[in-house]
Amino acid sequence: MMCYNGGMIDERTLMILTESAKYDVSCSSSGSGRKNEGGIGNGYASGCCHSFTPDGRCISLLKILLSNDCIYNCKYCLNRRDNDLPRATATADDICGLVMDFYKRNYIEGLFLSSAVHISPDYTMEQLFLVAKKLRTEYNFHGYIHVKGIPHASMETVQKTALYADRMSFNIELPSESSLKLLAPQKDRQSLLVPMAQLQRDKEIFKAEKRKGHFIPAGQTTQMIVGASPEKDGTILRLSQGLYRKKGLKRVYYSSYVPVVHDSLLPEVAGGALREHRLYQADWLLRFYGFDAEELLPADGDLPTEFDPKCAWALAHMELFPVEINRAPLETLLRVPGIGARGAQRICNARWYTKLTFEHLKKMRIVLKRARHFITVGGKFYGAAETAVRGLLSAEESRANATQLSLFSMNEIALSALTGEL
Amino acid sequence: MIYFYDGTQEAFLTALTLSFHDGEPFLTSGNKQLVLGQETAFVRADPEKAKRVEKRLLSFDKDCMHDLDTLLRSGDANKDNVALVYFRLIAEKKRPVRTMLGEDAALAADECIRRVGFEVHRFHGFVRFLQSASGALYAPISPDNDICDLLVPHFRARLPQYPFVIHDVKRKKAAVYDGEHTFPAPLEEAEIVLSANEEKWQKLWIRYYDSVNIPSRERLRQMRGYMPVRYWKFMPEKTRPFTDGEEGGGAPFPPS
Repeated sequence: MMCYNGGMIDERTLMILTESAKYDVSCSSSGSGRKNEGGIGNGYASGCCHSFTPDGRCISLLKILLSNDCIYNCKYCLNRRDNDLPRATATADDICGLVMDFYKRNYIEGLFLSSAVHISPDYTMEQLFLVAKKLRTEYNFHGYIHVKGIPHASMETVQKTALYADRMSFNIELPSESSLKLLAPQKDRQSLLVPMAQLQRDKEIFKAEKRKGHFIPAGQTTQMIVGASPEKDGTILRLSQGLYRKKGLKRVYYSSYVPVVHDSLLPEVAGGALREHRLYQADWLLRFYGFDAEELLPADGDLPTEFDPKCAWALAHMELFPVEINRAPLETLLRVPGIGARGAQRICNARWYTKLTFEHLKKMRIVLKRARHFITVGGKFYGAAETAVRGLLSAEESRANATQLSLFSMNEIALSALTGEL
Repeated sequence: MIYFYDGTQEAFLTALTLSFHDGEPFLTSGNKQLVLGQETAFVRADPEKAKRVEKRLLSFDKDCMHDLDTLLRSGDANKDNVALVYFRLIAEKKRPVRTMLGEDAALAADECIRRVGFEVHRFHGFVRFLQSASGALYAPISPDNDICDLLVPHFRARLPQYPFVIHDVKRKKAAVYDGEHTFPAPLEEAEIVLSANEEKWQKLWIRYYDSVNIPSRERLRQMRGYMPVRYWKFMPEKTRPFTDGEEGGGAPFPPS
C-alpha cells in the first residue's frame, strides 16, 4: 500500500482558512478527464457533488485558502488587511494531507486552492504552485485541482502552475475598471485580464503541439461580485459574453454582494439573491440557448425581476409566437419559455415517431405552465389571450418566488447543479 | 394473466416469451395481491427460451440487454411490468424504441432507467468510506435501487491501491474489491475496526462542512432537494458522530 507522510492540519487552522475561503462561489469539478496514473484519483468530466450545505450550495472541492494573511486591503473583502480577524497560514503538507485523506473517504472531488496575497503576489503564487506540484508528484494525486491565479504574480509561475492544475481562475472581482479602482485599489484590470489571455494562448499552443501532459484541461473561470458597485446587468452580461467568446472562459460566476466588512464606499445591505438568480439564468441563455446579450437587454438596463429573462424576451417578441411543437426547429424550441435544453431534445426525438399531443407533453413532464402561452400543439393553442399572458406569468413568478427562491428554477439546471456541471 | 418470476434476467426473458400472445399480461417478482378469478403463472427460467429471445431482441436493439439489467435494478415496485411492456414494444416495433417518448411504455422505461442512472451518479458523490485499521475502506449505503456493484468501477479506478467494500445494508449484500478483483457477496452485518485516525478525519470533515456554510443564506429546502434526507444516514457531516452535544447532533456513526 502506498504511504505518504501527510501531516494532520489542526482544527483551528482548517476552520480559519475555510471561513476565509467560503465566499468564493466557484466549486465545480467538471471538465477534466484526467486519468489515474498509478496513484490516487482521477477526473470526472461531468463533475460530481459530494455534499450540500444548509445554504443550498454543493461541496465538490475542498475550498480553502493557503493563507488568509493579506497585504491587500480590498474594501469588500473579508480578509482585507485592516479587518480584525484571526489569521492562519497552512503548510503545503497540511493541505496535501487533508486532500488525500478527504479524497480517500470520498468527501471531496479534489482541491480548490486560493490564498490571500501573503508577503507578495510572487511569493503567494509560488506557494500555490508548490502545493499543486507536490500533490501531483509526491502524493501522486490525480484528482481535480483548481488553483486561483494571483494578480500581479509573475507569469512564469502562473504558467508552470497550469501544468499541474485542472483549472485556473483569475477573479475579475468587479464588473468595471472604475469600481475596481475604487474598491480594490491594489488590483487593476490588466493584472487580471492579461494572465487570463496569456493562459488561453498557452493552452491553444499546448494543444496544437500535442505536448505530453496536461495544461489546465478544464480551462479557466472567473467570478465577479454583483451589487457592491453600480454596474447594470446589461454591462455585466456583455462582459461575460466577451469573456466566453473572446477569452474562451468556461464559466463566469456571479456572487451577490454580502456585506462582511463595513466601509463608507460599500452598500450596507446584501445584494438580492433574486438578482444573482436572474444573472445566472441569463448566463445560461448565452451559453446553451443561443442568445446574445444584446437580445436580452440594453447595456444600461437591468434584467426584469418579475419574469425570467427568456420569458421577458418572449413577451417582447410575441410576433414570433406561438410556435408549433411538432414542427419548430430545435433552436426555436429552445427559445420557448419553460422549455429547457433537455425538454427540447426530448420533444425533437419523440416527434419523429408520432404527432405529439398536449397529453404527450404533459406525460413527458415538459413544464407547460409558461410554455403553453407560446406554443401550438397539432395546430391547437392552449394558452391565454395575448393581453392576459403577461399578468398571468408575473403572478405565477411572484408566487414561486414567495415560497422559496431556488437558485435554479429550471429542471435541467437543477439537474446540472446536482451533477456538478456548474 | 399474472406472471410471477424470481427477478433474474433469464426468468424475465422466459416470462416474456410466455406472455407474447397474452393480451394483458402483468409481471411481478414481488408480492402482488391476488384478485379472485385472476389467472396466475409461476415462471421458471428456461435457459434455451431465454437465449433465443435474447438473440432476437438484440437484433432489434443491440443495447437493450443493458436496459434490462438497469430496469431490473430499479427499486420501483412496478419495475418488472415496466420492463415487460417495454420489451413487448421493442418486439412489436422490431427496432430500438428508447426515444419514442410518445409511447407510454418507452416513457415509463426511460424514467425508470434514468432514475437508476441518476442514483448511481449521486452515490459517486454520496458514498462515505470509513478506513479500517488494516487500511481497507468500508462504505455502508442504503440506496433506492440495487446499485452497489455499479459503483465499483468508479472507485476502483480512483483508489486502486485500497481494497474496499460497498455494503448495501438494505439488501444485505456487498460489492467487494480486494485490491485485484471485484466480486459481489452477501453481507448481513460488517464489523469494522476503525483506523486510529478515522475519528479525527471525520471530525475535521465536520468542521470543514460547518465552516464552509454561509448561515445568513440558509436554504434548507434546496439542500434537501439536492441531497434527500434518506441519504444522510451514512454521512458523518449529517449524523455528526464524535461531536456530542453540538448542533445538528444525531445518531451515532456508524449507526449500529
